[in-house]
Amino acid sequence: MSEIWVLVDTTADGKIRNVTFEVLTAAAKLKEKNSATVAAVYLGESAGSIEAELGKYGADKVYKIESPALKDFNPSAYASALSEVIKKYNPDIILGGNTMQNQDFLPRVSAKTSGGLVLDAVDVDISASSTLAIKRYRYSGKSISGMTFHDIKPMMATIRPNAFKAIEKSGAAEVVSESPEVPSQENVKILETKLVPKDRPELTEADKIVSGGRGVASTENFKLIFDIADSIGAGAGASRAAVDSGYVPYEMQVGQTGKVVAPNLYIAVGISGSVQHYAGMGSSKVIVAINKDPDAPIFQKCDYGICGDLFEVLPALTEEFKKLT
Amino acid sequence: MKIVVIVRQTPDTEAKITANSSGNGIDENELKWILNPFDEFAVEEAVKIKEETGAEVVVLGIGPDRTLETIRTAMAMGGDSAIHIKDESFGSTDSYATAKLIAYKIKAMGDVDLILAGKKWIDEESGQVPIQVAAELDIPQATIATKVDVNEAAKTVKVQSEIEGGQRILELNFPALVTCERGLNEPRYASLPGIMKAKKKPLEEVTLDSIGLEELGLTKENLGIGGSRYSVDNIDIPVINRSLNVLKGGSSDMVEASEVQAAAENLTKLLREEAKII
Ligand SMILES: Cc1cc2nc3c(=O)[nH]c(=O)nc-3n(C[C@H](O)[C@H](O)[C@H](O)COP(=O)(O)OP(=O)(O)OC[C@H]3O[C@@H](n4cnc5c(N)ncnc54)[C@H](O)[C@@H]3O)c2cc1C
Ligand SMILES: Nc1ncnc2c1ncn2[C@@H]1O[C@H](COP(=O)(O)O)[C@@H](O)[C@H]1O
Repeated sequence: MSEIWVLVDTTADGKIRNVTFEVLTAAAKLKEKNSATVAAVYLGESAGSIEAELGKYGADKVYKIESPALKDFNPSAYASALSEVIKKYNPDIILGGNTMQNQDFLPRVSAKTSGGLVLDAVDVDISASSTLAIKRYRYSGKSISGMTFHDIKPMMATIRPNAFKAIEKSGAAEVVSESPEVPSQENVKILETKLVPKDRPELTEADKIVSGGRGVASTENFKLIFDIADSIGAGAGASRAAVDSGYVPYEMQVGQTGKVVAPNLYIAVGISGSVQHYAGMGSSKVIVAINKDPDAPIFQKCDYGICGDLFEVLPALTEEFKKLT
Repeated sequence: MKIVVIVRQTPDTEAKITANSSGNGIDENELKWILNPFDEFAVEEAVKIKEETGAEVVVLGIGPDRTLETIRTAMAMGGDSAIHIKDESFGSTDSYATAKLIAYKIKAMGDVDLILAGKKWIDEESGQVPIQVAAELDIPQATIATKVDVNEAAKTVKVQSEIEGGQRILELNFPALVTCERGLNEPRYASLPGIMKAKKKPLEEVTLDSIGLEELGLTKENLGIGGSRYSVDNIDIPVINRSLNVLKGGSSDMVEASEVQAAAENLTKLLREEAKII
């Protein structure tokens, strides 16, 4: 095997996202089975000296694909730049975090290079026939399937945040600079970008999540959910009933038609545990339920729970969580 | 102005999924099928644009016979006509081949200004098909749209797209592709008269044999569950296997006010010492 590429995902202010280190760790696992070079691949206007940090997480090489045309994310320009460099180096495998940006442009790369792409993998491996093998959820978390790539190049996959734990090693990466020709994108203009500063972790990347449902009963009461979430540094989510009732915005919805999340800890408060809600959080490691109805379906789908009134339980539990250090 | 909405069928969200006998797909017997919820937003948006501009709305779906019902639902919501690309194997064809077929048909139509699709198919959490269609047609895309404004005279569409940590407003020249997110609009219900009328609207059925697959760089083997890029080896239906350790009250199922403090301490201890999670 030649090279395994890992796409470098950065935040708006240029920091490397943790998921990149998780994916580098996944790539290191593949490298053990099939001696290959692991290369981190940056796409953007200017990378800066990212190689030290990437080397520490196992990158042997860093490709810096830099161009003024890559300043703002444009799926077609990014796909074109990456496809050019793929054609030059012919990597076997390309992995990246399952971020919105990767989901937006990798399908175009797959169409341009005739490579294959699977999104949102929770495990990767090398198959018996030396191709990429993948595990991913399907039917909204109701099933998990094993898939094996046929012998094509490149084999691409995005990996769900938190599926791998980033492991720091030691190492240094060699830098390769590329500046492919990027066709101008006259048929699309970016008029405005609005970034809303978030005071809590993004749901899809959060290690812990507390979600509220219809039982929380109002926008004001959601403060109880935010308070307990903040006491453990958790993200805050909601059921569709809470969103449809207008308590909180749709971007907080977890479930089959909301966000699919897989934190280590998921606390469901005043949520009955419908099939559609469970589809979005059922792969969480530990599920805790707080509900006053002993017959709520969530109590058949959780690890721990308290059968009680959330307005009494939450303040007490928040105080207990605050005592932890 | 011509709009194509691409729609897909999906098992009812309540459906219990079981593996088929060969273990590489799901058992489709007795499943109830619905229009993919995100595609409802696409159909609604197309119909809204039609009401404002008089645009023509064509519904396009690929799938086995049963897909027709979903296509009719979209026509009942206001689509003018439909194209059904038909083959039994299409139900599980991978996104790469699906996109090639959709792009082929849209190219053949020649005069399409706007393509609307769902943000993702809820079964697969994928969202690859529309983007690959845009790539095949070499046209711009705006994904995860929560606002769409068409300017027919200028032949542009202004889209508010959700991005990591915020939104972005893009202006795309026609022809363009937009994928639709919840919040974009409130999909109307297909009314009974609408459903009756839909049965009489023009429907073009396209069979696999009438499409020059080779021209598209595809073979029959590329379609269906075997796929061309990868194969599905197995499907596991995880059983819910959780410890169900629910703290209850002393005298009833519910923890009383006087017992809440003890329950909170107890749960915190379990999460710390047993689950080692906080
Ligand atoms: C196509 C489709 C897609 C859907 N997608 C989603 C999705 O993505 N996400 C999603 O969540 N749902 C989704 N749903 C909706 C889903 O079917 C349920 O209706 C929804 O999850 C219910 O939300 P809930 O549990 O908050 O409300 P309810 O089912 O009303 O439950 C409220 C719970 O709160 C408890 N409660 C009330 N007061 C208190 C109190 N004081 N203390 C403690 N407990 C209390 C009650 O006992 C009850 O169990 C979808 C449905 C459809 C048809
Ligand atoms: N077989 C199909 N026929 C028509 N449209 C499809 C098909 N598959 C996917 N789409 C469209 O592409 C969107 C995303 O699907 P997917 O890429 O499969 O997640 C759907 O919401 C549909 O709008």
